[in-house]
Amino acid sequence: MALLKLENISKIYHTNKVGVLALNDVSFEVEKGEFLSLAGPSGSGKTTALNLIGGLDKPSEGNLYIDQTNINNQSKSNLAILRRNHIGFIFQTFNLIPILSGFENVEFPLILKGKNSAEERKSKVEEILRIVGLEDLMHRKPFEMSGGQQQRVAIARALVKEPKLVLADEPTANLDSNTGKDVLKLMQKLNKDKGITFIFSTHDQMVMDFANRIIRLKDGQIYSDDMRR
Amino acid sequence: MFTILKLAFRNVFRSKKRTIITLSSVSLGLGLLIISICLMNGLDKQSISNIIHSQTSHLKLFKTGYFDKKDEIPLNKTIKNPEQYYNKIKQHPLIKEVESRVLFGASMIKGMDELPCLGVACEPGSDPKILNIKDSLVAGTWIDSKKSGMVIGANMADDIDLNVGDYVTIRIITSSKGEDLTWNALDMEIVGIYNSGNPAVDSSHIIVPLKFAQEAISMNNEVTEIVVCLTNDNEDTLEQVKTWLCTIFENSGEKIEVYSWKDLAGTFLAISKMKTKNSAIIIMIMLFIASIGIINTMLMAVLERTREIGMLMALGMKKWEIMKLFVFEGGLIGVFGSLLGCLIGGLAGWYLEVKGWSISSFGETYEKIAQAAYPIKDVFYGDLSFNILLYTFIFGVVISVIASFYPARKATKLNPIEALRYI
Repeated sequence: MALLKLENISKIYHTNKVGVLALNDVSFEVEKGEFLSLAGPSGSGKTTALNLIGGLDKPSEGNLYIDQTNINNQSKSNLAILRRNHIGFIFQTFNLIPILSGFENVEFPLILKGKNSAEERKSKVEEILRIVGLEDLMHRKPFEMSGGQQQRVAIARALVKEPKLVLADEPTANLDSNTGKDVLKLMQKLNKDKGITFIFSTHDQMVMDFANRIIRLKDGQIYSDDMRR
Repeated sequence: MFTILKLAFRNVFRSKKRTIITLSSVSLGLGLLIISICLMNGLDKQSISNIIHSQTSHLKLFKTGYFDKKDEIPLNKTIKNPEQYYNKIKQHPLIKEVESRVLFGASMIKGMDELPCLGVACEPGSDPKILNIKDSLVAGTWIDSKKSGMVIGANMADDIDLNVGDYVTIRIITSSKGEDLTWNALDMEIVGIYNSGNPAVDSSHIIVPLKFAQEAISMNNEVTEIVVCLTNDNEDTLEQVKTWLCTIFENSGEKIEVYSWKDLAGTFLAISKMKTKNSAIIIMIMLFIASIGIINTMLMAVLERTREIGMLMALGMKKWEIMKLFVFEGGLIGVFGSLLGCLIGGLAGWYLEVKGWSISSFGETYEKIAQAAYPIKDVFYGDLSFNILLYTFIFGVVISVIASFYPARKATKLNPIEALRYI
């Protein structure tokens, strides 16, 4: 059973009374545990697809299922709960909360989820920070960390709640190539070890090489869908 | 809830300079509010105390019809043999003292100077238990029922340069019919000078023994008023005793009316009420400006943190939780601003209550205007209470929370995708 199913998804943005077709009749399925790259040049519809999958936006046409639930029909509040419990986000610009330490940033989604005691949260946060190699820096504020370290915190924040799906929008675009590789290796390891499904967008071939499936988008349509290994 | 509060707390101090400026405007506004209320309450309290204790006492009994003509100071509407009522009046446990007085129109003449004044003929033994004139003597002695001396106010003494031991001519108006006045002129010694703190009294009241005035005006054991002093200044006591006295005199069929100091100081109370309203408008404007500061700060915060708001939405924060975050931030600015405002206002209010505010520091013109508006001389004292601080604190927090609603709502209206793209 597919974890994610996009069925004839189209998305039109209306700017200055002109409709821009960002996604055009896109359909694909993603199985649990995939490490999938949405690839394509700028404006191909990668980010739009991630936003729709993450419930941050609604498609103009088509249906989008997560665990067989059509999320198009959900209220904004229900979509917020879906994101809170089942979807982790990793952003190109890390987007950590600057006033919170690394530990607190990672703990924040667990507090929002509200299902763990303080002790449980502490243990989960320390565990994931150890996995991403930041156990010694957990009490630093984001501005006291390098870009790579901040993205590791962001990865830990996305994974700490054990989501069904992690969506990463060009996660290495703001990092140098070595740090980018380290981050991707970490994501790959977590995908293998924990079986968490990753979908990340990129236009960088090096990043695509890490994926076990690449869906290439061009002008809002699927250009190719390759299983790598 | 606690996490959002913690987040809000840290966000408040994210932009320290801006927060300090906003806190300053809130605290200054609230501090001034406390000082204004403290000063207005103090002025009213001090004025009322001066009116009661140097001018009117708590209650006055007049012959029916006297009150309506009181500005003419009539001598033909008198109470005969006032002592007959004393026992009846003193039965009430909240009545401390009773005395009879005659008020008469007069003028004081020294050489070419003539000063119009109000003659107050009182019982030298009872009056000090009711009014503070004897206690406020700054020179000389109190009047004696066996002598014809008088005491005058310090302002009056200054105006025509009089001292204890000086003799002046008093022209007593014994009756007035239209423009025709009849009077009696007497030479009297000034035996004392008082400074009651009530400018109206100190500049126009001459105090003489009752017996002397009755003889001079040919009033055979008649008085124009019976003055009743209560055990306290409480308004409930005042109304209770007034009602009791009214009932007594209505039931006995006596043509005597009862008036409280409030009836006699109606003009002062009306001006005071008007001033309170005007001050409230000014205070509201000040607080509106402070709340604009909060709105501005919060709007800046929403603008600066647009991407962060998008990220919080992506993490699964609901709109009302984001709204709560910003309202808490505004509320916290309100809490800190109000605490600071209460501290500033409290300290200034305490100073005003203990040390007072010398009117003369504003110059002679302002001093005269102030004395015309309030029956207070020299120093204005504030009246600070815990309730003023408490209500101002609550008011400050509520205003801040209300002011932060609009920016908070603006934050929730953000589109998460656009917010995440915001640079």
